[in-house]
Amino acid sequence: MDIQSCVEVRNEWDIVSARQLGRNMAKELGFGNVDQARITTAISELARNIYLYAGRGKICIEPIDQLGRKGLRIVALDNGPGIREIRKVMEDGYTTSGGLGAGLPGVKRLMDEFSIESTVDVGTEISATKWLR
Amino acid sequence: MRIPILKLHEYLLITIQVEMDDQTALQFQEDLLNKIHDTGAKGVVIDLTSVDMIDSFIAKVLGDVVRMSKLMGAQVVLTGIQPAVAITLIDLGISMREVSTALDLEQGLDKLRLELEG
Amino acid sequence: MGVQEKLDNLIVQMINENQETLKNNWLKEVKLFKEKELVGTTLKFSEETDQQFFSMLIKHINFHDISKDGTLDDFFDQVLHTGLPLSYLTQGLQAARRVVLNLLVETENDKEKVAAVYREIDRWLDPILNRVVENSSQIWERTVSVQKTALLELSAPLIPVFKNISVMPLIGSIDTERAKLIMENLLNGVIKYRSEVVLIDITGVPVVDTMVAHHIIQAADAVRLLGSTCILVGIRPEIAQTIVSLGIDLSLFPTKSTLQKGMENALEITNQQLISNK
Repeated sequence: MDIQSCVEVRNEWDIVSARQLGRNMAKELGFGNVDQARITTAISELARNIYLYAGRGKICIEPIDQLGRKGLRIVALDNGPGIREIRKVMEDGYTTSGGLGAGLPGVKRLMDEFSIESTVDVGTEISATKWLR
Repeated sequence: MRIPILKLHEYLLITIQVEMDDQTALQFQEDLLNKIHDTGAKGVVIDLTSVDMIDSFIAKVLGDVVRMSKLMGAQVVLTGIQPAVAITLIDLGISMREVSTALDLEQGLDKLRLELEG
Repeated sequence: MGVQEKLDNLIVQMINENQETLKNNWLKEVKLFKEKELVGTTLKFSEETDQQFFSMLIKHINFHDISKDGTLDDFFDQVLHTGLPLSYLTQGLQAARRVVLNLLVETENDKEKVAAVYREIDRWLDPILNRVVENSSQIWERTVSVQKTALLELSAPLIPVFKNISVMPLIGSIDTERAKLIMENLLNGVIKYRSEVVLIDITGVPVVDTMVAHHIIQAADAVRLLGSTCILVGIRPEIAQTIVSLGIDLSLFPTKSTLQKGMENALEITNQQLISNK
């Protein structure tokens, strides 16, 4: 059950592989189709952030079971430049890449739990969990 | 990978049936604008019935396509957005209010006809 | 003094004299199933509570009749409400029976007597066991009925009224959970009935604050993404006042004061007409 699957993110196609993996795992765990879409989209946003800002990194997805409560956890890891102003990137509409600025605050809304740790010049680790309802 | 664009009188019809990666999305944007230019199409229907996920990047490309087409004189209607996709977009904070929508391809064409022919 | 009474006294005496030993033996037994029983719950059933449980049992063996004192009921009620599995309590009771009997067999040589005491202890513990099961099932029945009511409150039905026109009447307060359900029902219904127009009737929503308005705006936005139009109806004067004074912008969506006016609007949009036969 507790098998973690990871996808290396180095190019745009890896973003597609990461979200396909996420969708399959979400489906297997019994998530409904709205939550499947939420999880897939969150993975896509996180993977794209890695590709855009860190160049490379990985997305790990694992089913979790906390005292009978089942869920899926996504961890996005990179050794990129880190995020200088975490509060700013969590604001809607803030973007440094010309995107919609929906990424991270959007992921937070799509998922149930969200945490971010980042050290400048060391890297970023973002963890997001969706619980099975 | 290329998304086929069909021509029907003065309209263009696109049914997206592949899992879109970033390149495919950008390629589609370019192909559509070229096709509008070549055919002088007045309306475009993009059917998203088979699309099961739209993230902020694809949403941005779609929004851009709509605005760019408009600049070239073509109205765009997005059709068949699935409930799960709509909910995710709203969660992301993307409401695409400036984009015209319809339930399916047929209603999309009706909507274009109504808007263009009055 | 009758034989029966003598027997009772003997048991009570034996139990009282050996309380410490019994308790320690019992706690050992409890440890054996404790971890297994509490897996999958967030409960921490402390040893203190275990000790309380045991002294309750001893006390009631002394009382001989559990109906004489309500404290055992209260105790069961309390721990079952925390979500403690029923089997934890029943196993605790079985363990209590075991340790008492073990002690008895160790200290008493008269086989006749042992058998009599055995039956006697059963007679005392069984009502307690029944009581626990009864309490537990009552708690479940209550929980289920509370949830049923909650479920009804939560329901957000979409009703197809005319061709391509549906109505969702909302009654009661709207929180985030319910807003999600409303959104999903609304969107799935739009697809199912091919609704070009949906009317959300908020006549029955007592309070429209910023959060409720936000949820409604999101629902309307999502409906629009699907290619349908959302009309908000049932806006009472006081709701209009709060919406404006809170600075909520609903101007992007068509709104009407009553369901009837909204329906007229919907018929217009879908190119339909009601014809009177007069």
